[in-house]
Amino acid sequence: MIDRATAPSPTAPRPYHFPKITRTTLPNGLRVLVAENRNAPIAALRTLVKSGADHDDAEHAGLASIVADLLDEGAANRDAIRLAEDTGLLGGSLATGADWDASYISVDVLSRNVQPSVEILADVSFRATLPPDGLDRVRSERLMEILQQRDEPAAIAGKRFAGLLYGTGAYGNSVIGNADSVARITLDDVRRFYDAHYLPNASSVVISGDVDSARAAELAAQMFANWKKAEEPPRPVVSPQSIPESRVYLIDRPQAVQSEIRVGHVGVARSSEDYFAITVMNSILGGVFNSRINLNLRERHGYTYGARSTFAFRRAQGPFVVSAPVRNEVTRESVSEVLAELRRIRTGDVETHELEDTKNYLMGVFPATVQSASDIASRLLDMELYGLPEDYFDRYRENIAAIEKDDIARVAQKYVDPDRALIVIVGNAGQIREPLGTLGLPLHEIDIEGNLVTA
Amino acid sequence: MLALESYELSNGLRVVLNEDHSAPLVSINLWYHVGSKNERPGRTGFAHLFEHMLFSGSKHVGNNEHFRYVQSVGGVLNGTTFFDRTNYFEMLPSNYLALGLWLESDRMGFFLPALTQEKLDIQREVVKEERRQRYDNVPYGTAFERLLHLAYDPDYSYHWPTIGSMEDLQAASLDDIRQFFATWYRPDNCVLTLCGDFVPSEAKDLIAQYFGDIAPGGDFPQFDLERKPLGGERRETFETPVQLPRVYRLYHLPKMGSADWIHADLLTTVLAGDKASRFERALVHEKQIAQDVAAYILPTESTGILLMQATAKDGVSIDVVERAMDEEIDRLANGGVTDDELTRAKNRAEVEYAHQIENYDSRADLIGMLATYFGDANIVHTWLEPYAATTNENLRDVATKYLTADNRATSLFIPVNA
Repeated sequence: MIDRATAPSPTAPRPYHFPKITRTTLPNGLRVLVAENRNAPIAALRTLVKSGADHDDAEHAGLASIVADLLDEGAANRDAIRLAEDTGLLGGSLATGADWDASYISVDVLSRNVQPSVEILADVSFRATLPPDGLDRVRSERLMEILQQRDEPAAIAGKRFAGLLYGTGAYGNSVIGNADSVARITLDDVRRFYDAHYLPNASSVVISGDVDSARAAELAAQMFANWKKAEEPPRPVVSPQSIPESRVYLIDRPQAVQSEIRVGHVGVARSSEDYFAITVMNSILGGVFNSRINLNLRERHGYTYGARSTFAFRRAQGPFVVSAPVRNEVTRESVSEVLAELRRIRTGDVETHELEDTKNYLMGVFPATVQSASDIASRLLDMELYGLPEDYFDRYRENIAAIEKDDIARVAQKYVDPDRALIVIVGNAGQIREPLGTLGLPLHEIDIEGNLVTA
Repeated sequence: MLALESYELSNGLRVVLNEDHSAPLVSINLWYHVGSKNERPGRTGFAHLFEHMLFSGSKHVGNNEHFRYVQSVGGVLNGTTFFDRTNYFEMLPSNYLALGLWLESDRMGFFLPALTQEKLDIQREVVKEERRQRYDNVPYGTAFERLLHLAYDPDYSYHWPTIGSMEDLQAASLDDIRQFFATWYRPDNCVLTLCGDFVPSEAKDLIAQYFGDIAPGGDFPQFDLERKPLGGERRETFETPVQLPRVYRLYHLPKMGSADWIHADLLTTVLAGDKASRFERALVHEKQIAQDVAAYILPTESTGILLMQATAKDGVSIDVVERAMDEEIDRLANGGVTDDELTRAKNRAEVEYAHQIENYDSRADLIGMLATYFGDANIVHTWLEPYAATTNENLRDVATKYLTADNRATSLFIPVNA
């Protein structure tokens, strides 16, 4: 009979190696990275342009993502429909988009059709036609999307949290913009952004999957050779608001049956020297299912389907935020529990098994997250965007392994501050206003646009 | 060609092994052939609530320890519930295969001794929050539920969504949970799939050791899954706090895997698969009356489901959007598709299949599904063949036969202040 009382021991671990990366830089400054992976007959092709919504000024919030949305409205001699048809005939799908730090073009395609697909990727990267009727269509769809978000509690909470934290500067507006800014964007704005930011010397092309490295690199070199280099735009400045003391902002949503809670403040940039220590600390705090915040709010109290904490490691300092949707009746208790967990992680009260479990998770889970061509491409894009060293993935384990208990307390004290936190809650004010008042924190009511509501 | 080996233990547990050493990982995937279709009116949401309970410990595994054991060695895990099945899966570094089998066998064979009222109460609250978060507190959140209520008679097993109703969740007792487990969670109602870096002879030994002594159960309760014809379109208009009107349609199809189901799968790609598809091109790109459109089929075992939806732009009547959809459907039924459209749709099916095969975890899930629904894991080798053989005529036929008004349920979500 087998012993069921104790967990079986592991056998000897099998080695894991991240795929070999072939790197080249073209004369125009474009960096090309290729990694082979033969799990399936598909390839992931990507262009990364290292400018995103962080470059949008408040008047033109949403510009970077409008430009990205316009890329597949026409490129070289193909219009929007032809692009979709031709990509589909190759067994591919074309997608474009922008986030805070960068803009992306991606083609996932059957590997037997890589060559013509790289041509499409190149066309969309630097021969986009940006047609006027395309802007009209994209703008109209964008305005509808902004309208729809007025009913989405998580979107409202995220927008207001960012706005209160970063004001009208970078990271403070929504990536997709607002109704006024999107209405204001002209075709000139779009073309100016495309010309100024979509530069080979500020971009990388990544190809991964069922391809031959040398051939793929050569193909990219050929297809992207005519992309003209120019001077890179200066990096935007991110200036977070200072929060002298914790305070609550309540946004009324009368029909709400849950409160969307956000608690946090400014975090750190991806380049932080404490990146690994913060990653381990946050995984203990709220970064994974078995972390403290989720075990507390979900598994101990049954307040929520899921709660978590996140450090948004961006090129400049992104936010640190705890998010939890909880039922109306336990809104105040949930905020208290979150603040208590933030205090506790700062005390250095970390069990050895808690630290070891978390480190083992972070070290062990990596291979499971890079199985597909698309997963691998994402990792290469991260390396490019954040300037990670070439041996980054090989040294990841030892960097995590080096984190000790003292580091957890140190980075928690330095980067987590429950006494200077923004607490944003989208919920049924009639039901939760009074209990929230007993938190002993200043409470302001604002509308979904962020304007103060006076009684 | 994937290396597949299928066999059955004497207690009825079906096992599929797919050995592949490309990465030092192993995916362990269990399909229990039980889902919300095995519930009865007034007792809905059980299969899904039960999925939550199965993470709350078993005789030799403490509360929340299942997650901890897996995550602390770098594994990932989850479970999902649908009409016809519940799946549980973890992907582990391959040297922890025995750990995964120990955990899964403990909750298959020794779950009841660890069940407590307190655990049920907590998970019931968590599931109620899940329902609020995904259904009740978001715009359009109840659309699928409303569509099911319309499309199926109250005693038909697809009438309710897997999340269940708040009332039924509230009423679930410890005895209900015990009985549900005893009835359905047993080796002879399960397919165990391993995919990845293991030696089959060693895996077989471990599987025999951990699962071999778990007893099968008695007869399974029978359900009548023969769907009655609708007898005309079922239609409702629902006023609710949303900004834009949206139409949802459910068309009935034959079961998953049938020729018509596969043709309908390709047809939905022609309708809404990309920017150049019929709906996208006509409604979104050219007429610009719709904000978004979608058409897809669901992998359902008991009866087939094709879903469509379209969101009207601000100021556009949903009737205009519905008429434009119907024009496109008529055009398809009368004129068929072009060769290029058919090729694009087949390519899409090929890519989707490749994406499922690419990862051990999604591959194991696909294999588990085929073994559970069709009794044959080897279908994974031939899955694309009927897609490749589909003709223009086939697509016209399914459009004519199934995309008709009296074969559908329609739910219109209309802004409450409009």
